[in-house]
Amino acid sequence: MNKVDPAVKKETGYIAAWVGILSLVMEAVFLLLRRWDLSVLAGNLAGGAAAVVNFALLGLTVAKAVASGEPDKVALRVRSSRTLRLLGLAGFCALCIGVFKTNVYATVIPLLFPRIGLAFRPMIDRRRGTDAAETEGSDTLD
Amino acid sequence: MVELAMGIMLGLCGLGAGIALIAGIGPGIGEGQAVAAACEAIGRQPESKSAVTSTMIMGCAIAETTGLYGLIIGIMLIFVAPGIFSGVLRDTVLALK
Repeated sequence: MNKVDPAVKKETGYIAAWVGILSLVMEAVFLLLRRWDLSVLAGNLAGGAAAVVNFALLGLTVAKAVASGEPDKVALRVRSSRTLRLLGLAGFCALCIGVFKTNVYATVIPLLFPRIGLAFRPMIDRRRGTDAAETEGSDTLD
Repeated sequence: MVELAMGIMLGLCGLGAGIALIAGIGPGIGEGQAVAAACEAIGRQPESKSAVTSTMIMGCAIAETTGLYGLIIGIMLIFVAPGIFSGVLRDTVLALK
């Protein structure tokens, strides 16, 4: 079995953490609006899991494509992976909403959570960089 | 007449959902080209592999969001819009009577 690229593990963990935090916020908003029921929780779990799995598959595809070193085949592979993932997401969401009757909004909103996490990424990286520089500075002073 | 209007409305919702999913084509092509270029870059500078992979994953995820907007609009048009539009249609018919 091939080893998973550490970059994929790290980025998927980061995205999963953001999806978890934002899911809690969304549940709180539904509670405040007095619209919370079990279909909201089920939709949130399904949508959040779909978002994280979609990101992990994207990461695996990109890591494998980059490692293969064949630019001609890589474009086609990424494109087909993208199409399959989109169709899979559409099918999964339709199944959850249509068959299992999960809340529509609670199912589709978590799909956008990774994008929100990525929007905050430069800010977090900058802060980490500042912290690391300060730590290095204090080490040098000591 | 109301049945015809309802049928047209449902048909247009399905058509709109199909058109919205066309948005998924563009990011796929863009991601493919970006990853192919990253492959060439790593071929020239193999030591930058981990940095390029990490940046590519983030870049592809951002590009993919455009397709997800289309998917979400399509799902809304199929599962939410018919209920709202049929309610509006019913109210309009009742108001006319």
